[in-house]
Parts: sequence; structure tokens; C-alpha cells
Amino acid sequence: MNAPERNLHFTSTNSGELARIVRVNEEIKAIVATAFRINLMALNAIFLAKRAGNAALGFGVLSNELRRFAQDLTRHMASLRDMTSGSVGSVTGVVQQQRNSAILAAAIRLSGDGVPGVREARKRGTTRLAEQQAKLRTLDMRLRASVEETQQLVELGGVLARSAKIEAAYGGGFSPALMQVSTDFAEVIAQIKRSLEILGKERLVKD
Amino acid sequence: MKQAHCIYQDDAHRWLAIARDPTKPGYIIDTNEYVIVHGDEALLCDPGGIEIFPAVFSALSAECDPTRLAGIFASHQDPDIISSLALWLEFKPDLKCYTSWLWQSFLPHFGGRDSTFVTIPDPGMTIRLGGLELQAIPAHYLHSSGNFHLYDPKAKILFSGDVGAALLPPDHSGLYVEDFSRHIRHAEGFHKRWMGSDRAKRDWCERVSRLDIDMMVPQHGAIYQGADVQRFINWFAALEVGVLRG
Repeated sequence: MNAPERNLHFTSTNSGELARIVRVNEEIKAIVATAFRINLMALNAIFLAKRAGNAALGFGVLSNELRRFAQDLTRHMASLRDMTSGSVGSVTGVVQQQRNSAILAAAIRLSGDGVPGVREARKRGTTRLAEQQAKLRTLDMRLRASVEETQQLVELGGVLARSAKIEAAYGGGFSPALMQVSTDFAEVIAQIKRSLEILGKERLVKD
Repeated sequence: MKQAHCIYQDDAHRWLAIARDPTKPGYIIDTNEYVIVHGDEALLCDPGGIEIFPAVFSALSAECDPTRLAGIFASHQDPDIISSLALWLEFKPDLKCYTSWLWQSFLPHFGGRDSTFVTIPDPGMTIRLGGLELQAIPAHYLHSSGNFHLYDPKAKILFSGDVGAALLPPDHSGLYVEDFSRHIRHAEGFHKRWMGSDRAKRDWCERVSRLDIDMMVPQHGAIYQGADVQRFINWFAALEVGVLRG
């Protein structure tokens, strides 16, 4: 018989999944906050373009587009957030199942494999774990697809910000102010891109 | 490591006490688990916490076929009583858990589904194990507000949960109470603090005095047998409970 196993802390490796969800959620929260900022910045840019009049007609159109972009981005992020909230349940299921299976395995090691019922219990545990992991993998794929879609949307945002910079050059006396606004847009969108890159690398399950 | 000790046997009717675990970490309270085996079925009383599951499972498996477990009796809702529930269900998903109706929606936080729980009404009930009829004896407020003990009229054993519990020093490793006067000193503080109702205590003393008891087996500490059972009931009846000190 093996020595009894004590302090059954099986969560050190399994808690990685929950930590990953936390990281994904934090990135999503950061992007949502930035999207809200773009929305406000676009609103200010629209007013500024109105004040600049004919010289900033093109800038005004782009500001409207950037505002729409910020709203679309917020919707995308809300859907991503729903996905990660749902995945907390699945990850918890996997963690619990792994923990239970590990403790049961420790009990079986102490008792010996000859104990009736242990093989069936192990099989049931393995099946349940496989089902929960498959569910999590599906969620992970959906999350990745959704991040890719958002990345495409942000590419469009980047194009809009660059165009706004070009339009700002034609803003006459308002040109320096419009240039500052369009530079801010470009910086914020670059920040979102970086966050999405991090999100794209995160996996809810290990490959 | 925990070991199962046979404390009663009459043909295929047995009581096993899974007690004393010198390898258990000091920060976890020591617990006793009891298995009633009758013919082809077994009932586990207060299976214990998650941390001690491997030791309890191993000790139980050494003495009886764990697939014969038909149910679990949870005297109340504490973690040292029943937090291992999910693990027992992992091994045998169709296990029934007998517990006070009061904990019906609380215990699923440890595991199990609606069909797992058989709720015991306040006045108690009969629990059938094979051909044996066990009696769930009310012990409410001693210490839990929904609390039951289990009486086996055939073996004349009363599983008394936390009543009779003693927090014994490491050198008191005997399974049975050997010197009541010395032993009870280790039970006094626990009963004063944890048993919250004098009225509930008097009701319980009266109730169990009517039972024919050869052994009273608590969830912590040593087993009372013979005259020590009535000695304990008398001691408990006279004890001032629900006090911090004194």
C-alpha cells in the first residue's frame, strides 16, 4: 500500500484555466473602456468638424464612421464577454471533475486496484471530463473566431483613423486641432489592436 | 493511516468504526466514520471531509465492498461531516444521502442532485438497510438546528454525531472510553460551547434514555460502552450548555 497522500491540493495546475478566463475578461474590459473613449472622442470630433465648416467636411464624415465603429466594437466586446461568462461554468466543471478524479485516484492508490467498482468509477470520471473539455474546446473556438472578427473590425477602425489624419491636413485653421484628434484616434486604436493580439493568443484550454 | 475496526458483528450484520488517523494534518479535526453493514448493503455515517476521503475510502474498502454502499447518513451539514459527498458520488452516483430536510438545499453545494437526497422530517424516520430498520433520532440544536442521530435496535448502537464528542490529546488513542471521569474532561468544553440549547439537551437525554443502548458512538473521540453510556447521559443532563466559559 502506498503512503497516504496528504493536503490534496490538486488545483495548482488546474486553476490555470480560471486564471486564463480572468485574463481574457480583463482584456475585454480594457477594450470596452477604450471603445467608450473612442465614442466620446468621435462625438467631440463631430462637433469640432462642424465648427470648422466646409474645410472639415471629410473629417466630419470620418468622425461619424469612427463613432459607428466604436458602437460596433462595443457590441462585439459584449458578445465576447457573454462567451467568457458562459465559459466560467464550463471551466469550473472541468476543474471540479479533475479535482474529484485526482482525489478518487489517490483513494484507489491507497486501496489497491482490486477494489470492486473503481474501474467503472474511473471510466465514468474520464468520460465526464472528456465531455466537459470538449464543451470548453468548442467555446474556445467560438471565442477565437469572434476575436478574429473583431480584429478585422479594428483594422477598419485603423484605416478610418489614418484617413482622418489625411483629412485633418485640409482643415485650414482647425488643422492642428483636427490633427491632434486624429492622432489620438490612431493611438487608441493601436492600443485596442494590442489588446486583441493578447486576446487572440489566450486559450481557454491547452492545445 | 485510518483503519476500520469491527465494533459489532452478528452474522452479516456489522458495525465498522473508521477512527484515529495519526498521519492526518494537525489543522484538521480528527473524525470517526461508521459503516453499518447488513447483508448485501452498507450505510456510511458521517463520511467526513474532502481531505480525508482517500483514507476513509481505503479503510472502508479494506473491510467491505464499497459498491455495496447504499447510502450515506449525514447527521448534519458541517464540512467535517459531509463535504466529501461529491467524491462518494463520483465513486457511486446512485448513492442516497439521508439528512434533515433543513439541509436539502444546502448540501447540494457539496455535490449531488435532487434525487441524491432523502430528507428526514423533524420527528425522525425509519431508514431501511437490507432487512434492517434503523431509526433516525431527533437531536436538533445539538449542535446543528437540523440534527439527527442513528439508532440500530439490533446492534443496540447509537451513532450520536457530535454529542459525546471529545477532543482527545494525541496520547489518548484508544477506541473506547477507558476511564469515564478522565475522558469526560476532554468533552466538557466542547459540549458547553457547541451544544446551544438546554431544552434540546434535556429532550435528547429523555429520548435516548428510553433506548436500549450498548454503545454510543460519537463522530469525534472515543466510544462509550456499557454503563458509560448512561453515565454520559446523566453527565450531559446536568451540564450547563450554551456558554462560552464556566
